[in-house]
Order: sequence, then C-alpha cells, then structure tokens
Amino acid sequence: MLGYILRRTLSTIPVMAMVGLFVFSLLYIAPGDPAAVIAGDQASPADIARIRANLGLDRPFLVQFGEWAWRTLHADLGTSIFTNLPVTQMIGQRIEPTVSLMLVTLIFAIIIAVPMGVVAAWKAGTWVDRAIMTFAVLGFSVPVFVIGYVLAYTFALQLDWFPVQGYTPIAEGIGPWLSNLVLPAISLGCVYIALIARITRASMLEVLAQDYVRTAKAKGLGQGGVLFIHALKNAAVPIVTVIGIGIALLIGGAVVTESVFAIPGLGRLTVDAILRRDYPVIQGVVLLFSFVYVLVNLIIDILYTFLDPRIRY
Amino acid sequence: MDRRTFLKGAAGAGSLAMSGGFAMPALAQGAAKTLRFVPQANLANFDPIWGTQYVVRNASVLVWDTLYGLDANQKPQRQMVESEEVSADGLTWTFKLRPGLKFHDGEKVLAKDVVASLTRWSARDPMGIMLKNIQKELVAVDDNTFRWVLSKPYPKMLLALGKTNAPIAFIMPERIAQTDPFKQITEYVGSGPTKFLKNEWVPGAKAVFERFADYVPRNEPASWISGGKKMLVDRIEWVVMPDPATAAAALQNGEVDWWEQPLSDLVPLLKKNKNLNVDIGDPLGNVGSFRMNHIQPPFDNPKVRRAVLMALSQEDYMRAVVGDDEALWKTLPGFFTPGTPLYTEEGGEILKGKRDLDAAKKLLAESGYKGEPVVCVVAQDQPITKAQGDVTVDLLKKLGMNVDFVATDWGTVGSRRALKTPPTQGGWSMFHTWHAGSDCVNPAAYPAIRANGDKAWFGWPESPAVEAEVVSWFDAKDLNEEKAAIGRLNKAALENVTYAPTGFFLTYTAWNKKVTGVTKGPIPTFWGVAKSA
Repeated sequence: MLGYILRRTLSTIPVMAMVGLFVFSLLYIAPGDPAAVIAGDQASPADIARIRANLGLDRPFLVQFGEWAWRTLHADLGTSIFTNLPVTQMIGQRIEPTVSLMLVTLIFAIIIAVPMGVVAAWKAGTWVDRAIMTFAVLGFSVPVFVIGYVLAYTFALQLDWFPVQGYTPIAEGIGPWLSNLVLPAISLGCVYIALIARITRASMLEVLAQDYVRTAKAKGLGQGGVLFIHALKNAAVPIVTVIGIGIALLIGGAVVTESVFAIPGLGRLTVDAILRRDYPVIQGVVLLFSFVYVLVNLIIDILYTFLDPRIRY
Repeated sequence: MDRRTFLKGAAGAGSLAMSGGFAMPALAQGAAKTLRFVPQANLANFDPIWGTQYVVRNASVLVWDTLYGLDANQKPQRQMVESEEVSADGLTWTFKLRPGLKFHDGEKVLAKDVVASLTRWSARDPMGIMLKNIQKELVAVDDNTFRWVLSKPYPKMLLALGKTNAPIAFIMPERIAQTDPFKQITEYVGSGPTKFLKNEWVPGAKAVFERFADYVPRNEPASWISGGKKMLVDRIEWVVMPDPATAAAALQNGEVDWWEQPLSDLVPLLKKNKNLNVDIGDPLGNVGSFRMNHIQPPFDNPKVRRAVLMALSQEDYMRAVVGDDEALWKTLPGFFTPGTPLYTEEGGEILKGKRDLDAAKKLLAESGYKGEPVVCVVAQDQPITKAQGDVTVDLLKKLGMNVDFVATDWGTVGSRRALKTPPTQGGWSMFHTWHAGSDCVNPAAYPAIRANGDKAWFGWPESPAVEAEVVSWFDAKDLNEEKAAIGRLNKAALENVTYAPTGFFLTYTAWNKKVTGVTKGPIPTFWGVAKSA
C-alpha cells in the first residue's frame, strides 16, 4: 500500500507539469492582453506596448515558459501582473474562505444526502421515494444563484438570521464563521445533495437485492442495522466516488456562490484573474486546483481498499 | 426568467421587506467610526500613474494629495501649494508648498518629492507630456520651493496640476516617485487624508483606508478634490461586490453604508427603502460612444461614417444603457459634457431631430459601400458596452451593412482595438465604450476627441481641422476664446465623425441615511462624510 501511495504521489508531478504547459500555452495563444487592461481605456497603443515590454510579455513563448517553470519548481508562483503581490500570498488570502465553504457544504450535503438516498432505496417505488427523488431533481435543476438569492431574501433580508454577504475567518469564532457560510453552503449543497442522494439510492438498491442482505434480515437484524451497517458499507464505493467527483463540481459552483454571497475565495480570484488576463495568478490557481483533483483521486483510491477489501493494487 | 430579471425581483423583495420595518442586523450597529463603501469596480492595483482606471483614481485621492485640486466649478484651487508665482513672460513658474505637510511614514513633504512626482506623472499624462515637451527645467529650489521653467507659455498649468482626470498629478515620496512610470509602485505612502492599509488589502474583495492623524486640512470648505479634507470617520472599508443584487441587499440590510453606482434596474427598488438616500452621484455623468476604425474599410470612408451618424438614435442607446428613467439621460449633439462652460451643439444637426434611415441608406449607397464586413467588437462583461453594441448591430443591419458581431470580454477588446490590421485579419471596424463626463469638459484630457492620425486614440482619426481647434483652445486667452474654439472643434469633429456619441447619461449613488455629507462629484469624496451609530 505504501508503495502504491508513493507511486501515485510521484505520478502527480508529470500530470502537474503537463497541466502547467497546457495552461501556459492556452494563455499564450488566447486573445486578450493584460497590458491593455492595465493601461485603461484612455491609454495609447504606445503606452500599452511599453507596459507589455515591462511585464516581459513581448518575449518569446519558450523564454516565458522556461522562466515560469523554473520559478515554479522553486515554489515561486510569481507575482501578479496587476496587484504586484506574490501569487502565493494572493492564493493564501483566498484559501480559507473557499476551503471553509467546501467543507461546510460537503458535511451538510453528506449528512442530508446519504440518509435521503438510503431511505429512498428502502422505500423504493413509494411516494417517499418519489418525493425524495423529485427534491433531488429540483436541487440539481435550479441554478445555484437562484437558490442563493431565495435564501438571501428569506433568511437574511426577511428573517434577519444571517448576513447577506462576506466571510468571517474562523479565528474570530465558530459562530461568526458559520453564520457567513450557512446560506452559501446550502445553496451550493443543493446540487451536491441531489447528486449524492441519487447515486446512494441506486447503489443501495443494487446492494439490497444481494443474498447477504436477505440473510441478515433472516437472522432478525433490524431495518436500521441492515441498511446502515450491512448495506451502506457495501454501497459506499460509488458514493465515495461521486463525493470525490463532486469536489470538482464544488469548485465550479463556488465561483458562482462566492460571487452571489461576496465571499473572497479562490473562485472569485480565478474569475477576476481570467477577465484581467493576470497570467501568473491563473497559472497558480490552476496548478492548485489540479493538485487538489489529483489528491482527491488518490484519497478515493485509498478509501476503496478500506471499503472493499477485494480491491487491491 | 433571466438572471438580471431574477436579481431585480430578489433585491426588490428585500427592499419591500425593509420598507416594512425589519430590523437591521447586529453587524451594522455601533460601527459609526467605520464606513463601508461598495466601489464601482475592484481595486485590482494601486498605482495612480501606472494604472489609470477610474477606481484606482478614486482610491488614490484618499491616499495621495495634489498640488491643486479642481473645485465644484472646475476651477483649480491651491491644495498642497501655499503660493505660486509666474513670470511676466509666462515661462517660469515658482511654487511654494504650504507648511506642515507630512507623508504617512512621518517624513516631511519636500520640494524634491514634488519634482520626482511631477517627473513621473508627466511621462504618462497627456497634459504632462505637453509640459515635458516644453520643459527647460524642473527643480527644487529649497525644501519648500520648486520651479518649473518652460520654453513657451502654458496657460493651462494649474488645470494640469489640479485636474480630476487620470492620471492625476499626485505627490509621492521621492524614493517611490523615482519608479519607472511604466512599472508599478509597491509602497503606497502618500500625504493624503487617509493611509492605505496594505496588510488588509485583499484585491478583489477589500481595501481599507485609515484616517491619517497628522493630515492638516486646508481652512476652506471642501469642494470636489479641493479645500479642507476633514475626515470624520476613522476607517473606510471598500467592499468589492461583483453581484449587484448582493450589493443592493447588503445596503438594505445595513451591512454596507454606501454603494457608489447601483445598477439602474435596482434604483427604483432602493428608492422605496425609507432607510436609504438615492441621488445622482456625478452630475458630469458619462458620454456614451462607439468608435469606427478610420484606417480600414468601410469606415475609412467619411460618407459611410456619416451615414451611420445620420441614422443612429441616441434615445435607443440611452434606453438600452440606463433604462426608462428619463432623468438619467439626454441626447448629445456633440462631444462635450452638458452643463459645463464649454458645452456646445455647434455643427450638431446631424444628430438632432427625427432619424432618417432612408436618407442614411441613400448616403451609404452613394459612398460606394459594397458589403465589406463590419467587425463590431463588444465587451459583454461591461453592461454599458454590451447594451450599446446590441443597438449598433441592429442599426447597421437596418442600414443594410454586413455586420460581424463579436461579443467578447474587455481583456480581448482592449488588445484587439490596438491592432491596425484589416478586420478580416484580426483587426476591427468598431468598438464601444464611454467616457466620464469629467474627461470631456475640454480637450486637455480627452484623447478620444483628438484626430491626429497615427498618434490619435484607437480608430486613428485624422482631421487637421479638429487638431487646429485643439491648438486654438490651448492658446485661448479667455473663456470666450475657448468657447469659440470648442464650437469650431465640435463642428469639425462631427464632420469628420471622429467618433459617434451615443448620448449623455448619469448614474445614481445610494447610501444609508445614517451617513451624512455625501456630495456630488466625478469622484466619490469621503472628507466631510460622517456616520451615526
């Protein structure tokens, strides 16, 4: 197992390098010019050319890429073209809100979705099943920003229970931290709940038809024991997989959620950087996201072996 | 239902809720020393010489002071300067700084700081460049005195040093001002009424300014960026909100105190809220525009440009940009800001009266237009440009032109418009933008009006008649001469169709009634602004 983990970890390096090259190439050929954005609307072409030269954007692709790769290998993601701040500092400022949002969303979604899926499978074909699945379809179909606005209107403006926007660091207390995250986590979590609940239901249905479940029931084990001890563990592999895949969805959804609730997270940083063509920031964030995906995949693969001893590497 | 409609509904519902008297959250209570402000855009960089975006300028007036400042009558008034003296031949200007000026790091403001700052500014600013071109000497005479010697008189000297157009001639410490004007500074030390807290800066989310205790305001009342800049709050937090509905909700909820530019769609709803004030923010407003590429077909032909001008309806543009609130817009048969001393409609007949599509089609046919593609590039991430682009495309189609509508983002438009290649080879035929009305009060800081060919702004119009009148304005000895020159300039620019004005529009600003002292102007000013608990 240790050898496998080491191999998988090392295999992330070429993946990340390829991602880096790909992103760098895309940015190089994509239309748009940060110098034009910096210079502002009233700038002359000569001003823009001078700024480009100062930023080093007029140098050949290979020179720019080589310099970036060398710096990245030395854990230096460069400096933002716009803010003149180190990219690592900018990412550092934004990690906590995004990780907090994802964490709360994930916990909220799993707590709600897994029992929903289990109950739907248990009551398959009944009105309970249909109600749960209708809810799941709705959660998946309604855009995140719509849910966000409805929640903000109801729970922030009408009931005054939560703030409309912003983020409070966890260092200032769990209460204030959570108060800023509840509404965004619910709006983002609705999509995720739907996804996990549907997969849980499907996986549980398959498992509940197995002989060992029938045996467990015949031995007189209670419904809860059958569902949550015997069946759920064996249905967990697809559920864990979809939770992992869902993290990718969370990152995408976070972009919208962070905008709607004005949370200063990585999603907003990414969008701002793309719109301004802030190349070093885009490259830094993409590398970070790629690393997260690779890490999540690794963790899921490892979890498989615990959930299903038949899986071996 | 689209997103814009939905957010109107959501924000509107919130407004009604507040009108009904729902309580403010605890967050807004007892924070009278901190003012939370939602700026028009993200403060993504902070060097007022290097980056000339309006939001950078607006933040910069909090941190850096100027030698002169324009007042509400657009007259330059002394700010950091105690006195000035100009020689009889108009060639030597000697300025004395007022005593007690300090930078935020505790150092005194000295003449050498001013010299370095003006040197950096004059490399980037159009008026500064003119001054640099006639500069014989710019030196510090002693700690408090500096001298500027020119090779020919420059009557607009004080306007140049006090204008509100970016880049403003801000004064920085010498060590910072020595930075290459095309490179960004990294220290934000000024001598203005507030200090910038770099350690709390989260670009894209928050910028914080703290009252500078050692700032010595002038004795005169504050007026725009001149006069006594007395800070009545200890701390100003700029909270960046990319989503207008969220900003509206936060303002209604008391989580922020002042929203610089509410989306016009949301204004009626904000007006219903008894806790809020809503009013025109900048009386100088904005001039909508699209520019045609004068060096590529079909718009290299003045008849084609005139045909478009003859057909366009500014009312259509303005309704698309600001909606149906007629208090927010007016037609503009010219290029200069309505309500300012040099405003003129001379030669503006082509933009007045009933729009004549048939006559425009006839003129287009006479021009020899043969269906060449018109590549219309529009930044759809800017609602004002996107709305104008939609109207233009409809107009050109009605005229029978072959339009290729390229809706992209501002980053792409910004770089594409610099290309001089034919539209079929990556170039462009037209793009949309708008100019702050404060930039359009005279030709000094109005590059869009210039028609000096290769040196002109994007589109590269060329008209010796326009340029001659720009020179006439600079040389004018009094207001009457200035007005005469601007009248002729307006006429010449319309004949040349230097660019197409799409109308004049205003925007609102909205603030909580707990906040007092909000004034109208091209820049949101924070001196004299107080907030009750």
